[in-house]
Amino acid sequence: MHAVDSRPAPAPAPQATPPKTAKRVRSRSQRDSGVAWLLSLPTLLILIAMLGYPLYRMIVLSFQNMRLRELFSGATPPWAGVDQYTKALTDSVFWGVVGRTAGFTVVSVTLSVLAGLGIALLMRRVTRGVRMFMMIAMMFVWALPQLVAAQAFRWLTDSDFGVLNYVLTQLGLDYSTHSWFVNPWEGWAVITALVVWAGIPFLAISLSAGLTQVPKELLEAATVDGANPWQSLRNITLPILKPLLMIVTTLSVIWNFGLFTQNWALRDGHPEPVYQTLATYSYTQAFGRSIYSYGSAISVITVLLMFGVMVFYIRQMFKIGEVD
Amino acid sequence: MTTLTAAVSEKKSQKKVEIHRQVRAFNGLAHVALVFWALVTAGPLIWVLLASFKTNTEIFLGEPFSLPASFSLETYVSAWDQAHIGRYFLNSVFVVAVSTAGTMLFGSMAAYVLARYTFPGNRVLYFLFVSGLAFPTFMALAPLFHILKNLGLLNSYLGLILVYIAYSLPFTVFFLAAFFRTLPHEIDEAATVDGASHTRKFFQIMMPMAKSGLVSITIFNIVGQWNQYLLPLVIMQGQGADQKWVLTQGIANISTQAGYHAEWSTLFAALTLSILPMIVVYAIFQRQIQAGLTAGAVK
Repeated sequence: MHAVDSRPAPAPAPQATPPKTAKRVRSRSQRDSGVAWLLSLPTLLILIAMLGYPLYRMIVLSFQNMRLRELFSGATPPWAGVDQYTKALTDSVFWGVVGRTAGFTVVSVTLSVLAGLGIALLMRRVTRGVRMFMMIAMMFVWALPQLVAAQAFRWLTDSDFGVLNYVLTQLGLDYSTHSWFVNPWEGWAVITALVVWAGIPFLAISLSAGLTQVPKELLEAATVDGANPWQSLRNITLPILKPLLMIVTTLSVIWNFGLFTQNWALRDGHPEPVYQTLATYSYTQAFGRSIYSYGSAISVITVLLMFGVMVFYIRQMFKIGEVD
Repeated sequence: MTTLTAAVSEKKSQKKVEIHRQVRAFNGLAHVALVFWALVTAGPLIWVLLASFKTNTEIFLGEPFSLPASFSLETYVSAWDQAHIGRYFLNSVFVVAVSTAGTMLFGSMAAYVLARYTFPGNRVLYFLFVSGLAFPTFMALAPLFHILKNLGLLNSYLGLILVYIAYSLPFTVFFLAAFFRTLPHEIDEAATVDGASHTRKFFQIMMPMAKSGLVSITIFNIVGQWNQYLLPLVIMQGQGADQKWVLTQGIANISTQAGYHAEWSTLFAALTLSILPMIVVYAIFQRQIQAGLTAGAVK
């Protein structure tokens, strides 16, 4: 804003402006629309080439039967109809993966949004210095590549040299050579902890910025009228925060549903069947076993499932971004 | 009348004491939560940093929070040279710099017209762009691989950069469009009346006004692209690919190849190195991040 105010006013146009006529206005709006399309064009082209077309290809591929042979010869793979879909939908392994991914998403998103909100509220209460410290530490965590965080957690939970076992043993529990990935529940607890830990900074920082929009007078008035902190939170803060909560929750669901790096890295690039999510499963099928069509069918089903569940929220999110 | 006000104020002050007590209890709780948070958030970070200065024997000594014998940079040198982290680091810097610049240029242009111009196809374009947000990265990996292969862009920086841009654009457009909408209309109307061109309006009026939003989304994109692992894993493969790997691939390589016999301290040094540029970026733009992060989304 200041940058604009301090700038000298643009020089007046050299020609005298002719009187506005209806025709002139129309031609300007036509020119505007040309400019608008021109400026959107690069984005449109890149998205079509790198997201749209691959998506279309993937849908086609999922109705074919592409194997390594076709990949190398470049021949058109044979048409397979809905074979890949029936194969996936009648496979109990696939449904196991779906259930696991969905369960993980629900648990991890709930935990990270609650924790993120809690920390955001906490940050409003502490002094400035402490708030800065929290902000900086969380930015470090946020800046940590997922892969790096996963490596760190792999070592924290290492059975022989891990810090977690060390601390638990120091506390008097016998965890000295405990392996955290033998029991899938414990393994998933580690993965969930990692995802929540890494997801909190984005949520907490966004939400705490959102909390600054809650008018202080409103909260003070509520307190004077005898509302307890819980009531103020429920009836004042949360309604104001709702659009933002909606956006960050939706984004978290999309991100966590596509969990790949964390379980991939924690299991050393070879996740056991109980540690497969839809993303790793589809990837292993397509690239590990070279059944590309099956991998594609799984991806299509995944997105359809997600859209089915999320359509309301995604619509809501778009609306928030759209409406003034 | 006076007695009434007195009674009311009396009641109020009682309530205030009550409130103060509640607030104090809350603050106590807040501090416990704070300590817990610090342990959980900062703990792993400190541990990685300490381990990066240790030798292998020290790491396996079983005293994770002990200080290393000496703070020498040897492990960092060995990570940089022998594990080729230096090369991968620079590769990453190059790729992320180009693709973030591209994302910001294209994304801000598109977001600007979508937010500020009414033209036929506006809504369709907006939904088309933003719907990309709903697709998880892994979705179109297999076909993406084939398309890049056919275009000869597999195992090339250009391919990787284009894919990074494509995956970053939906959120960038979504965020910036919301941001541009919140900016006042009077100024650019005045500029139009004064005969400013579209380019001039965009670069000299809108961009400075949208600075905090632009900075936050730039950082969001830098972080996102710097952290990418899955996309380079798919795209940067083939003959001589290990020369062109990005940092995350290099790190993964240290740990998968190594097993128990390797220099683990090298891995931790590499991990620490990978956070450094982000810290620099944050240090520079810290204020704008806080100011602009949600200014577009929350009105």
